[in-house]
Amino acid sequence: MSLQLLIVGCGAVAQRLYRKPLQQLEKRGLLQVAALVDPATENANALRAFFTKAKIYDNLENAFAESKLDITLVLSPAHLHFEHVVQALRNYSHVLCEKPMALSADDCARMNAVATETDHILAIGMIRRFFPAYQQFKQMMCDGKLGSLVSFEYREGHKFEWDVTTSVAFRPRMCGGTGVLFDIGPHVVDYLTWLFGDLKVPAYADDAISGIESNVSLEIESHFCRGSIHLSWDCPQSNELRVLGSKGEAVLRVDRFDQLAVRTTSDYELQKIPISFPTDTLRQAQSYMSPKSYVEAIYCQLVQMMRAIKWGEPPAVDGLEGEKCIFLLESALSVACPLDMPWLERSEEEAFRRMHWKNNS
Amino acid sequence: MSNVAVIGAGGFVGLSLIESLILEGRSDIRAVVRNYRNMAGLCRFGTDLDVRLADAENSALLTEALAGVDTVVNLTTGPPSGIIQSTRSIYEACVSVGVRRFVHLSSAVIYGDVCVPVGDDDPPVARHWMPYARAKSMSELWLRERLNNDAIDIVVLRPGIVWGVRSPHTLQIAKALAGKTAYLVNDGKGIFNGIYITNLVRCIRTCCEYPQRVAGFYNVGDSELVTWFDFFDALGPPLGCDCSRLSRVRYDHFPWSSRALVDGIQSLPLVNELYHQLKAHVPDSLKARIRNYLEGMYCYERHATSYAVRVAVERELWHLQRVRYKLPIEKFQNTFQFINPISFTEGIQRTIAWLTTLGFIYRSVSTTA
Repeated sequence: MSLQLLIVGCGAVAQRLYRKPLQQLEKRGLLQVAALVDPATENANALRAFFTKAKIYDNLENAFAESKLDITLVLSPAHLHFEHVVQALRNYSHVLCEKPMALSADDCARMNAVATETDHILAIGMIRRFFPAYQQFKQMMCDGKLGSLVSFEYREGHKFEWDVTTSVAFRPRMCGGTGVLFDIGPHVVDYLTWLFGDLKVPAYADDAISGIESNVSLEIESHFCRGSIHLSWDCPQSNELRVLGSKGEAVLRVDRFDQLAVRTTSDYELQKIPISFPTDTLRQAQSYMSPKSYVEAIYCQLVQMMRAIKWGEPPAVDGLEGEKCIFLLESALSVACPLDMPWLERSEEEAFRRMHWKNNS
Repeated sequence: MSNVAVIGAGGFVGLSLIESLILEGRSDIRAVVRNYRNMAGLCRFGTDLDVRLADAENSALLTEALAGVDTVVNLTTGPPSGIIQSTRSIYEACVSVGVRRFVHLSSAVIYGDVCVPVGDDDPPVARHWMPYARAKSMSELWLRERLNNDAIDIVVLRPGIVWGVRSPHTLQIAKALAGKTAYLVNDGKGIFNGIYITNLVRCIRTCCEYPQRVAGFYNVGDSELVTWFDFFDALGPPLGCDCSRLSRVRYDHFPWSSRALVDGIQSLPLVNELYHQLKAHVPDSLKARIRNYLEGMYCYERHATSYAVRVAVERELWHLQRVRYKLPIEKFQNTFQFINPISFTEGIQRTIAWLTTLGFIYRSVSTTA
């Protein structure tokens, strides 16, 4: 019998990113979407049009009361992740939770404790781990192609274009908002931690006044090098990770699946990317794919989750790694200061510094 | 200034206007946006800003969003087919809730290449090639017919290219300069009819705060006479670009290319409407592939090392660079006793500061391990 899957949170992420790969996996008989949970019935109904055998529930409790569900896919707004993950684990369901794992490291630690107690998998959806270029970059770092690391700069930003169906992400943090820090931040911090090992944030600046940030800059320290992260919800950035080493420089384009360039002499050279991921759940995987779209990457992530359940392979990112990310982002907030905006009028700049949330919290 | 609603507040002009008002300590500003995602740039203002959701083409929804407001600023953009409808809806909603003043942002693009000197009250060029310009022109004509409505002041501002901090247009030019793919039409002798963002914000605020009844159409722009070469040459050096080495493009005939042809077909009214309708339904992956294709070879250098010999010329930018006359701004200055607070040089300095924070102007990174 195929794995029975529950989706909690049937909004934009479920409909635009997860629907197609889940349909494909259902078609291959690897899993069945059995339950859809969303208090907004129009969201659940929109998904049910594609998963006709799924039952709709308005809360998790009712769903688990009726059936045994092997995997829970937590795609609800971030401030509900803690509640939904814990409830799913307590009902002996494995969990794949979209980033951010939760909005506080304390919550993450409690989620991990429940996963340990129930002996069920808690995996975090960090889709970029399934981007071939990202994997290749990691491989390259392990091989020492850049020599000893000197510095890095990560920039990601564009006008927010995601078709969200609520304003939750934009509310103040105490009301469940994520801001750009907890929206793009988990992806970045997870990846950089994977590349460089444990990170520290000696300095952090954002542009929030009484709300939540839409632009941030972080200074980062690792055991190997120092660097910076710049994220924006309202302004295009170069969307690159640049890493400088003693033997050369590498550039990873953050929104591309297969573009990684390295310069060791005078010119940048595009790297070959022979990276692929299993697409079946056989013990020795027989088929592989090199994802070229979000849908394909999510397909691979879901297969990886099923392999973790079936064969005990580690998920790409587990709850402990997810917790580490949130801890780091939280530590950034603890040293927050106003973002430097030298283009403002002097009086405006003074007002901004005076009105910045950290000075009024 | 009594309470103000900014419609289309999620764009860069809206953000800059709201930022300016909030940082002055105002807490009676209302932002109206079309959908949730447009709240992303405004979320930093939190409880200091009243954000409402309403479609600018739906006057019933707008009426609710504008209740109790004194002054409305229309900064909406979007597909050309919606521009006229949104202008009407906003006006009707303003009238129905008793708004005192309606400040509408039009565009200097309605005067095309400005081949002859024009005044603030001259009609738009007929049969403009660009759907956006045609829609802006029609909106102006529609509002002009209502200028004598005693119940409401209609003030139409006509900025040229809004440049500077957060301007997508400026960013595009900065990228082209850094990539050395920018080009100059007629050696850059055309007039850069621009307005620095802070000057525009001040113009809008002046209109909102003006204590007497006022109505009419006004060009707004920077004080200086600036050519395209001046503009490029001011931004170029920090971006590693010597503008005297940029490609030159002919002035007399538009240099057609396959991309320009696609742009041309897309600007046909029916095709344009269909394009904007379909755009919403095209999967992101396909959009990304098309974007990649149009983007061409990616430049991994922060600043390209060689100058492009053949460049892809965009029709809109080609026309903008052909402008022959500076639009007069005296009518606005005299009516509102207004002086632009930011000079061209100061605007450039601030823009460079902004581009530096974005990483487009390279600062050597720390090398301390």
